[in-house]
Amino acid sequence: MTTMKRILKLALTGTLALSLAACGAANKPATTGGTEGEGAKETGSKPQNITITFQNIYPDPTDPKQGMLKKIVKQYEEMHPNVKIELDSLNTDQQKLKLKTQAASKEVPDITIVNPAAQMQPFVEAGLLAPLNDMVEKNGLKDTFQEGILDWYTFDGNLYALSDGNNIGLVYYNKELFEQGGVEVPTTFEEMIEVVKALKAKGIQPMAIGEKDTWTGSFLFMNMLLRTNGPGFLQQVVDGSKTFEDPAFIEAVDAFQNLVQAGAFQEGATSFDYNAGENLFKTGKAAMYYMGSWATGGIEASSVDGKVGVFKFPTINGKGNPDEFMLAPGSAFAISANSKHLEETKDFLNYFMLNFPKEAFEVRGAVGIAQKVDGDFKAAGYSDMAMEVLSMFKDVKGGDIAFDNTMNSGTAQVHLTSIQNLFVQKKDPAEVAKEHQDGYESNIKK
Amino acid sequence: MKVLRVSKLTIALFVLPCLLLYICLVFVPILVSLYSGLLDWNGIGESTFVGLENFTNLFFNDKVFWPAVKRTLMFAVFSMAEIPIALFIAILLNRFIRRPNFLVSSYFLPVILSVVIIGQLWMTIYNPASMGGMLNQILEALNLKSWTRSWLTDPAIAMYSIYFVALWQYLGYHTLIQFTGIQNIPADLYEAAKIDGAEGLKADWHITFPMNIPIFKISIVLAFIGSLQAFDMIMVMTGGGPANATDVIATHMYNMSFKSMKYGYGSSIAAFLVGVCLVATIIINYLFNRLERKYS
Repeated sequence: MTTMKRILKLALTGTLALSLAACGAANKPATTGGTEGEGAKETGSKPQNITITFQNIYPDPTDPKQGMLKKIVKQYEEMHPNVKIELDSLNTDQQKLKLKTQAASKEVPDITIVNPAAQMQPFVEAGLLAPLNDMVEKNGLKDTFQEGILDWYTFDGNLYALSDGNNIGLVYYNKELFEQGGVEVPTTFEEMIEVVKALKAKGIQPMAIGEKDTWTGSFLFMNMLLRTNGPGFLQQVVDGSKTFEDPAFIEAVDAFQNLVQAGAFQEGATSFDYNAGENLFKTGKAAMYYMGSWATGGIEASSVDGKVGVFKFPTINGKGNPDEFMLAPGSAFAISANSKHLEETKDFLNYFMLNFPKEAFEVRGAVGIAQKVDGDFKAAGYSDMAMEVLSMFKDVKGGDIAFDNTMNSGTAQVHLTSIQNLFVQKKDPAEVAKEHQDGYESNIKK
Repeated sequence: MKVLRVSKLTIALFVLPCLLLYICLVFVPILVSLYSGLLDWNGIGESTFVGLENFTNLFFNDKVFWPAVKRTLMFAVFSMAEIPIALFIAILLNRFIRRPNFLVSSYFLPVILSVVIIGQLWMTIYNPASMGGMLNQILEALNLKSWTRSWLTDPAIAMYSIYFVALWQYLGYHTLIQFTGIQNIPADLYEAAKIDGAEGLKADWHITFPMNIPIFKISIVLAFIGSLQAFDMIMVMTGGGPANATDVIATHMYNMSFKSMKYGYGSSIAAFLVGVCLVATIIINYLFNRLERKYS
């Protein structure tokens, strides 16, 4: 009986493999000689019908960025009838996992999303990404980017990805709910705790977070660490001048626990993914939301538009400078080195990035993008909140980047899990620090 | 018997295609993963051979691993404990319901639903009341507010919430298997028993149960192996969280391989899982062979 089952299983797997193989071979040459697209750089031969897979992280149809993505893709497809762009839209955590799985079998999609610095390093070292040095020079694409932003994606002088954003971490708050709760914008972390308690007492959900995607809590925690230690803590750990058991780290854990224990976050926060968490704020069910400035466009497009203000993350125990921000060089578009249609893919991505700022500006999604934007934000109908965010960019005096962009994945996972744990149970800060240190030591390269 | 006697060559020839496929799709990957278990490898870059280091780390230094093993085995125990219940339901259906097929298929329905749908469904049931969680709302409506929990995010009970969903989903599956088994028992046996004065539960104990042992075994093996490999439902509902509280062997393997990018380490967990499955299958087979011999 078990043998029967095994054989059946085998047969099914076999069929599946065959059908997959059949799909893989579907890149037939075009039978009808389609009209040549304007921008097609064909060298004499007839243009072939090709499909470019475009993995992206804009799965939310209410986010203006998804509409913008589809619009540019459609424009390009109209100009190049032989090119079909296939979208694979996933949320951030899923995309990271999927890409790693694909990378393990060397089947990276033509265009994919990578994250800056330490996170993309393994992919670069494995030679999975195509250098974009020549492509970024074409049509003056390079000059559209802000100064220095592409450095996060450059290894040994080769650029491997083009950033979609250059953001900072800040707190969005719902003015209406603040009024109902009778509270003011906090200027210190201690006040913030009081605000949380006051809101809670009035039955208003103080903060929202999507902690199922563990990076959200980590992003907030790192901002607290930035206050208690000042910039560069992780680098100091790597250099060996500090350990995770440093008082500054323990102080940050303690502050973080105070916030959680004060009841700041919604019940069951660890079962909310990023979108579900953000939706709490967007539907006016939570008063505060700590996130990267990339959320601005989405919040503007939601029902709380016009009621939202922003503030910088306050000082903790009088420590830190609010003008130091969590910096978030965005997720970035990279091209697979093994892409079957490398040239066409580069051509498309070049077109995509050239149009990115203009289109993003139009759908009011241009706050915090990595490229320079020409245009008057105010006149284009950007909200007061967006203008506030934009002016906050001018205050930036350095800061830190996210934990998983600095540390290797093994340590990052220990950290992410450890922080997630703080949402469900109170722990001794020293123990959390030790957990980090052990995790770090067992994951450094020998 | 002579008609069936064919040359060994012919047998070999006919078995070969399947055997080759089987070797390629099952044995080779197992061997490859055993080998990867000996590497320090992130899955996409260079790898270095580290011998048994992954295994020693796994067994002695990994704080998540043993609790995950425990949860997996608990899962297996619960799934197997469910089968007598399934058998009991099958007996009741067979005896008291005139047209049991409709009921059996309704019980079977959750099995053919995608795990993702089941997971999403139960997530909304388990949600906090403020988010429209059905279970908590019902409890509140019944004035049992003190019974409400955050079912999937409280580390102490999250795992049991998941067990329950899995048991709920597969109850119909095992009921169907047992039901089919019971229907295959010749009716004249019961008639003969009736003449001898054995009816109802007594007949079940002396006829249904022993006659159904091979079918029982199938259910047990399926339940055991199935729960060792439990992965999808946990991934959908909690992703192993909060903070590893619902990690089982398979999710731990996945997290290590792909989230922490320790592919070699993940492979060593996979090797462990293969070993456990193998040993468990042998033990179950041995026990049931003895049981069958006893009753036949």
